[in-house]
Amino acid sequence: MGTFIQLVIDGLSAGSIYAALALAIVLVNQATGLINFAQGAMAVLAAYFAYSFIQWGVPLILAILLSILVSFFLGAFIERFLMRRFERGEPDTAIVVTVGLLTLITGLCGWIWSYNNLQFPSLFPVQNINILGAVVSVRSIGTTLVIVGIMFLLQLLFLGTKLGLSLRAVAINPQSAAFSGLPVGRLLMVGWGLAAGLGAIAGALIAPSLTLTPGMMDAALVYALAAIILGGMSSPIGVVIAAWMIGVLENLAAVYVPIIGFDLKIAVPFILIFVVLIVRPQGLFGRKEVVRV
Amino acid sequence: MTLLELTGVTAFYGPVQVLEGVSLSVPDEGAVGILGANGAGKTTTLRAISGTVRAGGKIVFDGKDIRGMRPDKVAALGIAHVPEGRGTLSGLTVRENLMVGAYLRKDRKGVEADIEYCLDLFPNLKERIKSHGSALSGGEQQMLAVARGVMAKPRLLLLDEASLGLAPSTAKNVYQAIGRLRKESGIAMLVVEQNANLAFTLVDTATVLETGRNALTGTSAELKGMDEIRRAYLGG
Amino acid sequence: MATAAGLMTKPWVRWVAIGVVVVLLIVAPLIFPAFVNQTLARIGVFAVAVLGLNVVMGYTGQVSLGQIFFVGVGAYVTAYGVNNDWNIALVFILAVLIPGIIGLGVALAAARLGGLAIAMVTIALPIVGVPLAKRLSELTGGSQGSSARFSAAPEWTGLYDDQWQLYIVIAIAGVVFLLTRNLVRGKYGRAFAIVKGNEAVASSMGISPYRYKVLAFTIASLIGGVSGFLYMVVVQYTSPETMSFGHSISLLAAMVIGGAGSIIGSLLGGAYYVLAPQLTNAVDSSLTAVLQGIILLVILFVLPGGLVSLPRLWRRRKREDRGMPAGGAGSAQAATATVSPTQPGASPLGTVSTPPESNPPTQSQEKRQDS
Repeated sequence: MGTFIQLVIDGLSAGSIYAALALAIVLVNQATGLINFAQGAMAVLAAYFAYSFIQWGVPLILAILLSILVSFFLGAFIERFLMRRFERGEPDTAIVVTVGLLTLITGLCGWIWSYNNLQFPSLFPVQNINILGAVVSVRSIGTTLVIVGIMFLLQLLFLGTKLGLSLRAVAINPQSAAFSGLPVGRLLMVGWGLAAGLGAIAGALIAPSLTLTPGMMDAALVYALAAIILGGMSSPIGVVIAAWMIGVLENLAAVYVPIIGFDLKIAVPFILIFVVLIVRPQGLFGRKEVVRV
Repeated sequence: MTLLELTGVTAFYGPVQVLEGVSLSVPDEGAVGILGANGAGKTTTLRAISGTVRAGGKIVFDGKDIRGMRPDKVAALGIAHVPEGRGTLSGLTVRENLMVGAYLRKDRKGVEADIEYCLDLFPNLKERIKSHGSALSGGEQQMLAVARGVMAKPRLLLLDEASLGLAPSTAKNVYQAIGRLRKESGIAMLVVEQNANLAFTLVDTATVLETGRNALTGTSAELKGMDEIRRAYLGG
Repeated sequence: MATAAGLMTKPWVRWVAIGVVVVLLIVAPLIFPAFVNQTLARIGVFAVAVLGLNVVMGYTGQVSLGQIFFVGVGAYVTAYGVNNDWNIALVFILAVLIPGIIGLGVALAAARLGGLAIAMVTIALPIVGVPLAKRLSELTGGSQGSSARFSAAPEWTGLYDDQWQLYIVIAIAGVVFLLTRNLVRGKYGRAFAIVKGNEAVASSMGISPYRYKVLAFTIASLIGGVSGFLYMVVVQYTSPETMSFGHSISLLAAMVIGGAGSIIGSLLGGAYYVLAPQLTNAVDSSLTAVLQGIILLVILFVLPGGLVSLPRLWRRRKREDRGMPAGGAGSAQAATATVSPTQPGASPLGTVSTPPESNPPTQSQEKRQDS
């Protein structure tokens, strides 16, 4: 039982990271209609920024906050000068652009900071506490709580503020939004900036356990995409729940299903997807999109 | 006082020329109609004004040259474009739609007052205030689109095919409300309409477009009886 | 004034050109030094891989990040079969069929999702494939990989190994290219193009997007298997690294840079895949990933049709210089990134926006639907 609880909590923690990355991808997709395959790489870049700030003596929390800020502007910059051209065109071309961005960012990280594993300090004390007889790491609980907190903040932003309303309007119908005077371009930049900032948080939270390398978030990206497929692109809550499910199930499978084991646990989300989608193509929570011609 | 003046306006979709020299003028607080058959360039004329299509020629609003301006900048000058197809923000509630319409305004009390006014103008919206835009009927969405335009407190309202896809009685209701709006607020209007009779209930003067240029211009009274109007619609 | 394009349409010129190419293909391996032959053979291997990717992505518009997985499977099947002394013809057939069956299975599930789901699912193939290959060490040789030598030149030919291998690559790749070219020029190709352009329109014409996506993806995986077989012919060794995520991205980049939706573009893509790393390494080996990312982005911005579209662009520039208006089709092509083959008569399914009054009012015209 103890192991089980441990695995579940660790799974929730990992799932929260996937959820954050997935939400960033959803945010960008809802606003601009494209899938940013470089979202994970951007998160890693942010983590590297934080690492450098730490090396220069900046306290950990401040370093992370700074990296989130830098990420925000970087995301906005990328939208304005790289992606803007491709937003009105074929989504597939835009995807390839983000793949190019992924290659570029990963290469830059490797070039500037090398491909070696770097140690990233943990925000949370490396301690364990006892819950119902299970030994649970504070870091796992902390990670989960932070991400849940961020998600609440985002909900608040989107549903309760003028900026949030504007972002939603631009995502739904940019032309109508422009007719009402919304500065569509600037809002798209903010959307990308927010997504990048969200990714930065995820990167900083996962770096301590994975160690910092340019390809650190490659697997997380795959999980995030799986969560989006399972949860449905139109349902942020569905995506979060799917991400938690994936995190927990892959952990459980790694231990309790020997055939899968640790090295193949990355297959778990896709087995899940295969099963779910045969029954419900729109994902667990998504709405069936009706496309009118 | 002329609020809006178009002189020899041309417009292109890519390499295809759709407008070949359209001219019209809208006086302050006036209402002008743009009539014509499908494909004549009516919607494109409005798009040229609001900056959603590449245009040539002269477009002057309140003394300012606005040709080539971005749509959100045009809106900031006081032109509200109610687009063809309604442009409903479907994931947002009716109230949120109206709030988006008021984006540029800073006077919160005035915005609340105007929301009340719009709901009074369009009682159907009052019942549906909490519904999502996607749940509204065609007529209700049209009303919502006009209301969204009104919320910006514009000086000029561009109405694009407000009757399209609506049952005749619904269309009449919408136009009656818009007529009341015009009387009570003094907003100038440029009305694109396929249904000439409906347009004449609202506008003082109108121009008929044919393949991208002006074919006829005159007051509603003059145009109402003309055979040319029938010809322009039915293509002779 | 006779232009190159004008000349190409005369049938006899075509036949002479083909004849020249065939003669070159036969003679070249005998003349070139070994390392040139080896490089050309590798280019052939990856040109086939890129061709497969083009079928599903360039022609049918479905982004696939898993093509290299099928190449890897084909290579592993080849290695296994050879090491177990199976008949080489049987090995070839299996090396093609097994990836094809897997591709079919993946497509049947993923194509249902619509939208960009195939992209999102195919990313799993190399990522799951690598640990799977390591795990199934009985079949694959685990992390060490598997080598198979079977492409030594037979005695009776009197050829060197590199020449023999190049001939095999030329022969098999040639057949695959021809078959694919006929496929995309025919009614299937047209169906692919319509599905790529607008799925709703395709359905209304009785062309099932689902079915054609599955077909395209399966063909792509079959071709990937061929590429895997050829890979073993030339490289004679495969490992989990062969189908890594990094290679998957490189293959995609190569396709775009060569020219999406183009047969010749696939050849150029194969050449880029093999030659570019050598060039970027020469510049600065630690910058190689950065340079490749930059090149891909530059191409997407400046030459979205890929290298293969250079002559067309140059021709259009010349026409504009002479004061002739650029044809509407030409500017639409430049605006849409993936372009159909340059053969005369093929019409690009570019999207030229149409004046609004001829369309019925649609809701949220700007919104992009995902699934």
